[in-house]
Parts: sequence; C-alpha cells; structure tokens
Amino acid sequence: MNITRPSLFAALMATVLPSVVQAEDLITRNRVGPADAENALTFRLTAFDLYSADEATAEAFGELFTDFILDNPGWRIDTQLQTGAIAQEQARIIEQARAGRGPDCAMIDSSQLATFKQAGLLAPMTPFFSDEEIDDLFPFVRDGVTDENGDIVAWWWFTDLRVLYRDVTQVPDAPETWAEMQEAAQSVADAGLEGILFNAGRDEASAFDWLAHFWAQGGALVDDDGRPVFFEGENREKFLRAVQLYADLVESGAAPARVTALASYDDLLASAAAGSTGMFIGGNWMYAQIQNTMPEDQAANWAVSALPGPSTDERATGTGGWAIAALSDDPEKVEICAGIARLYAGPGNAFQRLLPTSAALYEEYEEFAGAEFEVFADALEDGQARPGVPIYPEISNQIQILLGDVLSGSASAEDALDAAAAEVMDAFERL
Amino acid sequence: MVSGPLPWLLPAVGVLGLFYLYPILEAVRLAFTDARLFDTETQLSMRSLGSMVGSSTLGVILRNTLTYTVASVVGQIALGLAIALLVVRAERARLRGTLVLRTIVLAAWVIPAIANGIIWQLLFSEAPFGAINSALRLMGASPVAWLSDPSNAMTSAVIATIWQGTAYSMILLYAALKTIDPALYEAAAIDNARPWERLWFITLPHLRAALVVNAILILIMTLNMFDTILALTGGGPGRATEILSLYAYGTVFQNFELGRGAALSMLLLIISLGLTMVLIALLPRDRR
Repeated sequence: MNITRPSLFAALMATVLPSVVQAEDLITRNRVGPADAENALTFRLTAFDLYSADEATAEAFGELFTDFILDNPGWRIDTQLQTGAIAQEQARIIEQARAGRGPDCAMIDSSQLATFKQAGLLAPMTPFFSDEEIDDLFPFVRDGVTDENGDIVAWWWFTDLRVLYRDVTQVPDAPETWAEMQEAAQSVADAGLEGILFNAGRDEASAFDWLAHFWAQGGALVDDDGRPVFFEGENREKFLRAVQLYADLVESGAAPARVTALASYDDLLASAAAGSTGMFIGGNWMYAQIQNTMPEDQAANWAVSALPGPSTDERATGTGGWAIAALSDDPEKVEICAGIARLYAGPGNAFQRLLPTSAALYEEYEEFAGAEFEVFADALEDGQARPGVPIYPEISNQIQILLGDVLSGSASAEDALDAAAAEVMDAFERL
Repeated sequence: MVSGPLPWLLPAVGVLGLFYLYPILEAVRLAFTDARLFDTETQLSMRSLGSMVGSSTLGVILRNTLTYTVASVVGQIALGLAIALLVVRAERARLRGTLVLRTIVLAAWVIPAIANGIIWQLLFSEAPFGAINSALRLMGASPVAWLSDPSNAMTSAVIATIWQGTAYSMILLYAALKTIDPALYEAAAIDNARPWERLWFITLPHLRAALVVNAILILIMTLNMFDTILALTGGGPGRATEILSLYAYGTVFQNFELGRGAALSMLLLIISLGLTMVLIALLPRDRR
C-alpha cells in the first residue's frame, strides 16, 4: 500500500488528537472533568497549584487532577479561585457557607480553622481517612483539625515553620541561643551590613514569627478555656523577655530600625539576594526560593537552622500551612473532597516540596530527602500552631502594634503590653 | 397614563435604592447588632456602638484620620491647581508638550490604589538599595526613615496619596480654568496687575465653585481610602498611620466583628456627610 505523507499525517492526527483534546477539555480555568458530568463539586482553591503562574507546577497538578477525575467517573470539579487577600477570602467563604451558597470543598488557612470550627460549618471527614493516617499526623496538626466531638473536620495538607537563615560567609556557625544570635548579628553589623532582619511591621507574619520566642520559654497566649493570659504572671515575664530580645537587637544596631516597616518575607529575600544582610528569620519555603532565584554560588552561601532559643533546650517555631475541608452535607461530596485533600497532601506536596503534616510522607517521597528537610523535620518537633481560639486575630493584631511601638521607641515594653492587654480583653468580652 | 418626571426618575431611583441605599440601611441595621461573622444568631444591641465610642483607640484613629485627610486634600488641590495653571499658561504661550504633561500626570491616576501603595513602598524602602534613599546618598544627604519612624510614616502616606490624587484635581481645575474669560486677564495686564494679583483677584474667585466641588469629591475619596495605606504601611509602625477606614476594614476582615465594623462605617459616613455639608456652605449661592 502506498502511504502518502498527507495521509500519514492525517492518520497520526486522528490517533493523537482525541487524547490531546480530551486532556485539554478535562482541565479548564473553572473546571476539572467533563463539562457534562453527572455530579459536580465546587472547590475553592488558591492560585499556587493547579492555576499556578509557574507552568511546571500547573502542569504537574493538571496531571494529578486528571488522574483523580478519571478515577472518579461521573464527577466534575467546578473550581473557584481565591485571591491573595486571604482574610477577605476566608471571611467570604464563611459568609457564603452560612447563607447556603458556599463551596462544597475549600482550602482554609490553618490560622482560620478555629473560626470555621466555631461556626460549625465543616463536615466530618473521619470516615474517609484511616486510623493510621490520622494517628500519623503531627500532634499539633491533629489537634487543629479535630473538633470537640473528636471528628476530623479538615485535612491539614501542608505545614510550614519559621527558621533562621544565615550567610555562612558572615556567620559560619548556626547560632543556637539568643545570645549567640545577638553576638553574630552584632559582628555582621560591625562589618557594615545589616546584622539580622525580621518582620516587625503590621502583618500577621510579624506576630507569628515573633511568637516563637515567647513560646520557646513555655509562654501561653490563652488558658485552657481560651481566655487571654499572655499579660499575666509568668507569661508576662516571658512575653517581656521576648520583646526585649527584639528591642536589644534594634537598640544595639544588630538589627536595623527599619524592621518596623518589614511585613513581608519578600523584603527579607530581597535583602538576602542583595547581600546586604547576614541573617534573617523567615519561612522554610524560602529555602527553595533562595535556590531558585539566586545564582548557584550565592545560594550555596545561605544555610538554614532552627530558631535560636533563650537556651539550647528551649526552642519553638510557629507552624502554619493550609487545610482542605468539606462544607457540604452530601457524604459523596465530602468523600470527593477528602480525595482532593489526599491528592494535595501526598503527591501534590511532594512536587512542591512543601512540608507534609505526617511523618510517613517524609519517608514515602524521595523529594523530602534533602539535608534541609532534616533541619525542618527536627524543628517541627518544637512546632507550635496558633491557638485555635477566636480571640487570636486580635492578639496577633495587638502584638504587631506593640512591636511597632516598642521598636520605634514610641512606648516602653511594659506600657505597650498593658495597652495590648486592655484592647485584647475588650475584644474578648465582645466575643 | 402617568405623566410628569416620575416615570423617568423611577429607574434611577430603583437602581440607587437597590445598590446604594439598601447597603447603607443594612450597615445601619448591623451597627445596632452584636453580629459577628461566625455567629448564626445576632441580637439587637448597642454593644457595637458602645464599644466603639468607649474605645481608647478611637481617639488615636480619628487624629490620624484628620491629619491624613486634611494634608492629603490640601496637597492634592494645591498641586492639582499648580499643574493646571502651568498647563493653561503653557497652552496660551503655545508651548509644545502640554498634552504629554497631562498624560503623564493622568498615568498616576489610573494606577490602582493598592498598586500605588506597593510602588511607594518600593520607593520609600529603607533597605540599602531603596530608591529614594539611594538617590539621597548619591547627593550626599542622609537617608530618611520614611516608613519605620512613626513621625515620618504619616508624611510618606500623604505623599503617596497626593501623588496619585493630584491628577483628578488637575483635570477638574484645568476644565474650570478654561472657562475663565481671557478678556479678564487682558484687562488685568493693561492695569499692570502682578501675577499673584491676577491669581488672587481673578483666577481663585472664578474657581471657587470648582475648588469646593473638587474638595468635596477628594475629601470623600480620601476618607474612604485605605488600600494605599494597607499596602504601604499596613497602618504601622504601631498605629502611626492607621486611619478610620483601615480600622473598620481590620475590624470586619480580621476580627470578623460585623456589628462593630458597621458602627465604624457609620461614623465614617457621618464624618463625610458633615464635612460635605460644611464645604457645600462655601459654594457660591447660585451653585448650591
């Protein structure tokens, strides 16, 4: 048989095109799965994975979602993107869910889990996860996703933590105590660079990064009933000691006064990239950013270690991350939502090299074999999540204000703490 | 068949009622409740209003709002007027480039407020590589703590707001300047009137209505502005740049206190209405 080039091309296209068209049709900007599927689930997600601006990430998640939807025939996922205004987006989900117009499944910032739980909007997912999976969650994660009835009401699919980054050409050895950190920062500052940077502006990141120093001493923000106690008794002393740590760094010149205007990890990364700082307190995810954005030889100079504590035995780090939860009463939708959560927690997490929330996943995926993950895994043992109480946003807000006032010299630590306590208790009484 | 203006007005009244009046009435209702985002039941209560009035923070917030609003409004009008006068003068002298100048000024106006905040945050950056401070160092001047020093942060926020809002003033005042009869300036020239005399006795009196209307519009926009400050300082350091609109935003979207946030919004509305009434009283009688 004489096969001409055009006919060969046509035959090839006839073979290849359907699969290409099918793959393209399964993932669109607002849908995963066939448009005419019998069942639909609405999923409110962030823009960092399936719809990531990074092509490789979007492609990898596209493949994971395609496999997922092929494993669940008859289903379609209607995707709804959240913007970067996290607080607004989370408030919108709550408001819509209460009005019966919320998504069936949604990504929830771990810091907002307590609010969602208190609102009673989350459907139990316990039947869709094995006892082994639940038992393997880190304790702070398990506590965060368990409601008062003992049900798992969300799946915290990745966590993050705060660590100390240092330029090893300036600070060869990782400081392990506050005193060592201060000494190292001073030595860098004496050499003409900024010794250490940290967020101390008006943003949740500032409060959360700083809280590690309070928690390292065993400080508690609230008591078992959720009443704020950070300004009383021993907690007060620990709180003031942690504030004094930052105040000493700024007053000595080891940290620049401009930290009160820093409220973004991007600013810290920019200073690291510019080579103008010796150390900074940042998130674990910044390790990959350093590797990806700096020239190889410059990136090799940046090392990561656990946050120093008042002593080598007293360490803590704030742990955050995102959860996926079902807001539907339909058990079939809850099951699909749990499947999506499992997709993110396992292969999705491995691709993005975020921190899994259960120990087994560190063993299961070779992506978590790097030396930095050993540091992160060790630091997670001292991990502390935000307290799951509705007063936390106001406590955080007052800590941000306090740090700004104290570090800029507008108020003494004692006065600023008294003012913060008064504001927080006012807000607590309005709850 | 209904005659008169009613049939023509009804659609506009309907749209205004639905999209403007109803949200305001809903905010008033919320202000008299203890509503929180995650509470399923709310009760009529004076607690939101009481906590707002009794708050020790409110005084600081109102003082910040007053400083920010007055400085921003005066700055936008003064700079807008200066640029409008410059453009009109250049046009009369048939100089080239006035269109380019107007376009450049307008470019700032079309930038979203949140982006404006980010742009100025980069410019004011106190890092060793910060744009404005680097320029100051090149000129041998000391760097300035634009955002980290509470006494400078408000000035920085005002500069960012004026930079963006000046174009709006310029357009309004440029249009008003074009309506002034050139014969008045010719007569003044014959009388040997000096430039400031022409500005004081001809230009400003003829611009009075436009200036007041401009002031009203800018005042309302500035009082409601929170996104530029949110991106620039977040209200900090401490509460140094926290104004009423930003405080209300935080109350609703961070603390989820709908009732208290609505009460703060009502306060903002009352301040806007009060100041607008004051400014309307300054309008020429035939323009009210």
